Amino acid sequence: MDILQGEIFRYYDHFVIPFNIGVWVLFAVIVYKYVRWFSRLTPEDKSLVGRGLFSRKVFGAVGEVVSESLLHRRIFRVDPLLGYMHMSLALGWFLLIAVGWVEASMHLTEGFAPLHAHVFYKFFAPSPAGSTAETVLSNVMDLLLLFVLSGVALAWFKRLRSRALGMKRTTKHVVGDKVALAALWLIFPVRLLAESAQAGLKSIPSFLTGNLGEWMVSALGEGFVSGFSAVAWWVYSIVLAVFFVSMPFSRYMHIFTEIPLIFLRRFGLRSREQRSAFDHFQIEACSRCGVCIDPCQLQADAGIGNVQSVYFLRDRRYHNLAGEVASNCLMCGRCETRCPVGIELNTLRLNSREKFSALPADDRYAYVATADRSSGGGRVGYFAGCMTLLTPRILHSMERIFDTAGEQVWWADRDGGVCCGRPLKLSGETEAARRIMDHNSLLFARHGIDTLVTSCPICLKVFREDYDLGPVEVLHHTEYIQRLLSQGKLEIGKQDILYTYHDPCELGRGCGIYDQPRDIIRRAGRLAEAAEIRDNARCCGGSLANLEIGESSQQRIAASLSYHYRQTGADILVTSCPLCKKTIGRSFGEVKDISEVVAGAIRQ
Amino acid sequence: MAIERSINWGYSISRPRAVDMDANEHEAAARLLRKLPELQACITCGSCVATCTAGNLTEFNFRMVHTLVRRGEYKGAYDELNKCMLCGKCRLVCPRGINTRAVVMAVKRILGEY
Amino acid sequence: MTEKVIIIGGGVAGLQAAATLLELGLKPVVVEKTTHIGGKLNDWHKLFPSLTPASAVLAELKSRLEGVEILTGTEAAEITPRSVTMTDGRRMEADAVIVASGFDVFPAELKEEYGYGLYRNVYTTVDLERMFAEGRVHLHDGTAPRRVAFLHCVGSRDEKVDQRHCSRVCCITGVKQAMEIKAVFPGAEVYNFYMDIRMFGPGYEEMYREAQENYNIHFIRGRISEAGETQDRRIQIKAEDTLIGRPLKMTVDMLVLIVGMKAGRSNGALARCPGIELRPSRFAAPADSFCSNVYSGVPGIFYAGTVTAPKNVGESINEGVAAAVKAAGYIRSKP
Repeated sequence: MDILQGEIFRYYDHFVIPFNIGVWVLFAVIVYKYVRWFSRLTPEDKSLVGRGLFSRKVFGAVGEVVSESLLHRRIFRVDPLLGYMHMSLALGWFLLIAVGWVEASMHLTEGFAPLHAHVFYKFFAPSPAGSTAETVLSNVMDLLLLFVLSGVALAWFKRLRSRALGMKRTTKHVVGDKVALAALWLIFPVRLLAESAQAGLKSIPSFLTGNLGEWMVSALGEGFVSGFSAVAWWVYSIVLAVFFVSMPFSRYMHIFTEIPLIFLRRFGLRSREQRSAFDHFQIEACSRCGVCIDPCQLQADAGIGNVQSVYFLRDRRYHNLAGEVASNCLMCGRCETRCPVGIELNTLRLNSREKFSALPADDRYAYVATADRSSGGGRVGYFAGCMTLLTPRILHSMERIFDTAGEQVWWADRDGGVCCGRPLKLSGETEAARRIMDHNSLLFARHGIDTLVTSCPICLKVFREDYDLGPVEVLHHTEYIQRLLSQGKLEIGKQDILYTYHDPCELGRGCGIYDQPRDIIRRAGRLAEAAEIRDNARCCGGSLANLEIGESSQQRIAASLSYHYRQTGADILVTSCPLCKKTIGRSFGEVKDISEVVAGAIRQ
Repeated sequence: MAIERSINWGYSISRPRAVDMDANEHEAAARLLRKLPELQACITCGSCVATCTAGNLTEFNFRMVHTLVRRGEYKGAYDELNKCMLCGKCRLVCPRGINTRAVVMAVKRILGEY
Repeated sequence: MTEKVIIIGGGVAGLQAAATLLELGLKPVVVEKTTHIGGKLNDWHKLFPSLTPASAVLAELKSRLEGVEILTGTEAAEITPRSVTMTDGRRMEADAVIVASGFDVFPAELKEEYGYGLYRNVYTTVDLERMFAEGRVHLHDGTAPRRVAFLHCVGSRDEKVDQRHCSRVCCITGVKQAMEIKAVFPGAEVYNFYMDIRMFGPGYEEMYREAQENYNIHFIRGRISEAGETQDRRIQIKAEDTLIGRPLKMTVDMLVLIVGMKAGRSNGALARCPGIELRPSRFAAPADSFCSNVYSGVPGIFYAGTVTAPKNVGESINEGVAAAVKAAGYIRSKP
């Protein structure tokens, strides 16, 4: 018994109690969360994990953990200084723990050294033997502490001047986050003071803590520094405890969530249109860095500041997600392309909407069963989409293009058809959407087409992602027209017109179609690109995914967009979505669909 | 049945002909209008009904449904609005800039129990 | 030396202002950006509700202009109470300025769903006036229409094209032209699709009733949502007959879009003058709408006609008189 007590109390001081409580609470909560999330994964997801664990994907995941969780390379792309800030905190702290462990293991050789003995190594360190390895290690540890402190200083600076770190707006934090943040900011300065005082008292030489300690002792006297040191270790232990206890309940849970997320993603797990346990791994992996705020046009143009992905994920995580927040998103996907953690923001937003809609009755949409207003016939089917019926110039241009190319066309919905189902899906009525998707699938099958062309990117995305059309190839008209041009079935002449191009969200970020429209425009005239294009292109504001914003917000977003495109000096703005065309047409001079540009340039 | 459907006389035997504004409950309508005050701006031009994808295929009149709801006539509104496909054409043609899709969703949410 | 007043715009309001200033013994100079004076009156055939030929009104106005300096093909770029700078750089001093720069016709192409400029047999009221003036009203292929639909409120009361205001005169214009179509083609069926009929002027309501009773013009309460073109170039329209509560489809030979008034493009240049304010509709805002209708709020700059809001010809001419009298008073009250 005495021996045991001697073992335990060899490296013990009362101040380590808060730290130990903090660590064990943290450990318990995280284990609880992991068990809960993993056990609730769907059987398919579990089998993906099972297979993934014994595959080469593990190596890729390890690499990504190093590159993202420690180095934060994606944040470097947003802004180098911001990246450095995140890296210094994550990598710096990690190295402090790792190198500190080595240092402690080398010297705490007498008996069992508990966790706190490693963490508070300077306190429990024996008086220096003065070996080279020892000096090198304590200098390395000082260097690492300085590295982390530089990150903390930048974090403070970011609160004052976020623009210097590439962010116009930073996250508005909740109380829990503020407590954790305050603790985090205190940890390293307090550690510096505690370790310096200790180094001064024990005369452990090193360039930072050693010299600072030496100065403290000489300036303040050994007695004072001794008392100060006792207080500093207590404070250090308490702030660590506060941080650890708040970690699993605050934004800092991301540290323990991002790592499994990276593995699970590499194993092929994805969020789906229905909520699943995997969603937790994405939702809690959000560090609330706020990189998603600046690209959000609802923030920049419409002044709506509580719906951005960071707030949406936060509200959803704490189970107080309001319907108005879930539905107030353009789902343009701009933030998703920037998210340093790679969270599937659109999918999570979508499956959170499901909660707000009822299951469809059995006879809902029974009326579509007999609907077939199609006309014509051919191997190529053309689905205009609801919106295109309000932009007859697109319809006429497509007719002209089909005629010139000598294509026999089956017109699915020129005289009215059944909606593609994506608007319902975007509104959270997933099951109801399925009904009309099934109807359209049957309709397409019945008319024996092998290619389905649509002018509406909203329809395109749902045809590609949610329809099972078997051998039928689904094309957006930009892809189809480009193919006709390359095959020589259609010839257009180049005119001296300066165009600029607007990437529709569902076509660009949604379906990855960026090059085809640009190729077509360059064949028809000159192209002047705006500053924000391709996967950084802005939304027109008319998005069907937003169920909340009114006319004036839509107009403000569109007006700001038009201003952006006018900077190119282009005569005509080209887009390839009827909804974008309608929305931007109000504030930009001449807006044309790409089919109109082509139809107007056909060489007979 | 077919004849009854094709000729809409504006009344039926089972329901009283008059909209009884005294007897009707108006709280749900008030809630709807608090959320979407712009709905009061409807000038009943009928563009939404004319362009309606669902209304092209079946008997469904969005304008009539939301007007009835605003008068406290809730019966059947939920099921009627479930015919809507939320395609958004009506919003594009509405001269008053009413967020018609939000109206559909809000009425369904508020009147789910009717 | 006679005091000089520059009048921006040679339409009805500007010409009447010039005539009045001349009577008051001042020196008016009319600056007109097109090649001839008369403004939109040149494009109209007959004026409601009396069906007076527009040319007669214009001739009467022109007869009052003996001795007025008129600069056509000249466009004002910058306006101050004491000077006007033209787009070609010329600068002209003045003792007061009357802005009578009018309105623009709403470009119907913006309502793409109606197919103007795309379908051959979709016209605007402006096109129809020209055809009446030329004495040749017909379809694209030269034949006579048997069924004509008029659509009210195109580019009026429509947030979707940033035109929230009512253009006032289009209701009566649509009724007038419907009657004129019936007069030329007595056998034709004519339908007017409307949201509200606003007959604000003297004799207008009477004309509306005459159109219904004596000309058998059908009024359907519902706004057309979209139009399509058939193989034989007829126009298919969709509306709701809101009085019945059911969708309505119809094929017509000719669709006439009754286009509204849009604030003049030139109001942008006007607004650069400090103190000048535009309404949200981009029409100029007078100092107030009661006692200072023709005051701009900037001493020395006055308004006449549709620069401030949609008005009919008579109202615009009256404002020409008012602005001229107020400008003269302003000049004479100066020390």
